[in-house]
Amino acid sequence: MAPKYKLTYFDARGRGEPTRLIFAAAGVEFEDNRLTFEEWPAIKPTTPMGGLPLLEVDGVTLCQSLAIARFAARDVGLAGKSNLEQAQADMFVDEISELLPKMAGLFFEKDEAVKAEKQKEVEELIVKTYTILEKLSGSAGYLVGNRLLWCDLIFFNIASNVENLKPGTVQNYPKLAKSYENVKLNSRIAAYLAKRKETPF
Amino acid sequence: MPSIKFTYFDGRGRGEVSRVLLAAGGIKYEDVRLHESKWAGMKPTTPMGELPLLEVDGTTICQSNSIARYIAREAGLAGKSSLDQAKVDMITEGAGSLFDKAAQIFILPEAEKAARKKKLEEKEAPELLEYLNKLASNKGYFVGDQLTAADIALYFNYESVGSLTIALPSLDKYPNLKKVADNVKANPGIAKWLKERPVTTY
Repeated sequence: MAPKYKLTYFDARGRGEPTRLIFAAAGVEFEDNRLTFEEWPAIKPTTPMGGLPLLEVDGVTLCQSLAIARFAARDVGLAGKSNLEQAQADMFVDEISELLPKMAGLFFEKDEAVKAEKQKEVEELIVKTYTILEKLSGSAGYLVGNRLLWCDLIFFNIASNVENLKPGTVQNYPKLAKSYENVKLNSRIAAYLAKRKETPF
Repeated sequence: MPSIKFTYFDGRGRGEVSRVLLAAGGIKYEDVRLHESKWAGMKPTTPMGELPLLEVDGTTICQSNSIARYIAREAGLAGKSSLDQAKVDMITEGAGSLFDKAAQIFILPEAEKAARKKKLEEKEAPELLEYLNKLASNKGYFVGDQLTAADIALYFNYESVGSLTIALPSLDKYPNLKKVADNVKANPGIAKWLKERPVTTY
């Protein structure tokens, strides 16, 4: 029986990885469709808004990485219980996600002088963001409430990239470090990471 | 009924979609409009140093999209099923990206502004509106056959971008989107809000 979900993205982590992590944490099977860059131009006009990732489920094609991730989180029970708890998880995700375009800009920058400037901006934004998140984070080892939610996975995803950039960063923020460790040590996530293909981004 | 307080600047910007959702849902709330001179003092007391804020029975939510989604769910405008909610979310993100791009241009140095503005007006916005037009039904709804937050997001982001002096193509070019706009304006709670809301420059 084919999996209920088909995720289409490039052969990369990027904006597809949040949803992959959510399915992995829940132990839910999905079709992990990876496109090459050569295949993309022909597929682009057939997509809802000209972008990836896409999630196909029950005959519907969803786009926008966070809409997809939030839907997957709800389906597997990682979105938060009440409307208010879901909103709290959402606001963490929104704040964490502001790091993404800046880090992507840095990663893809070819000019050395510009790259140095961008590195400095990214490092300042990381400190600003992590300080805000640390202040608001719960004390039970998770960002919101007392169990793993999708916001912890989203944080782990971006924080892993930050650790690649500047190892040891998350350890300076005790509550964030606990959430990060809890995700890393989660048995399903650990198994997923052990098998995950290495990609540059 | 929880007590609700919404705080933003005295403008539409990133706050208007939430105010409209509250109006469409017939939800009573305190509409706090902060004068810009008061912001520096208030900023450190906020969760993430930004507005808008939604205070609900002692809990403060920030991030405009998260606030809007919470209100939409309370107002029954978020979409009936989880899949419908995801469709509403994706449209809302698409419509919101128009405003995000316009807001980024607004703060650029003059030298870069003109080129980025031209790119948005002549390429990015028409492309996105074309995609959105295909996603809306010919009855003027993005999801199902009833008004949702997606329809509201399209209309009010479009309106806000216009206020930032970006010349977007007319909605007359996109028949389904034009119907979406008509449906939004015809909703009784929204029509009342449009008549009564403070007039602001942005």
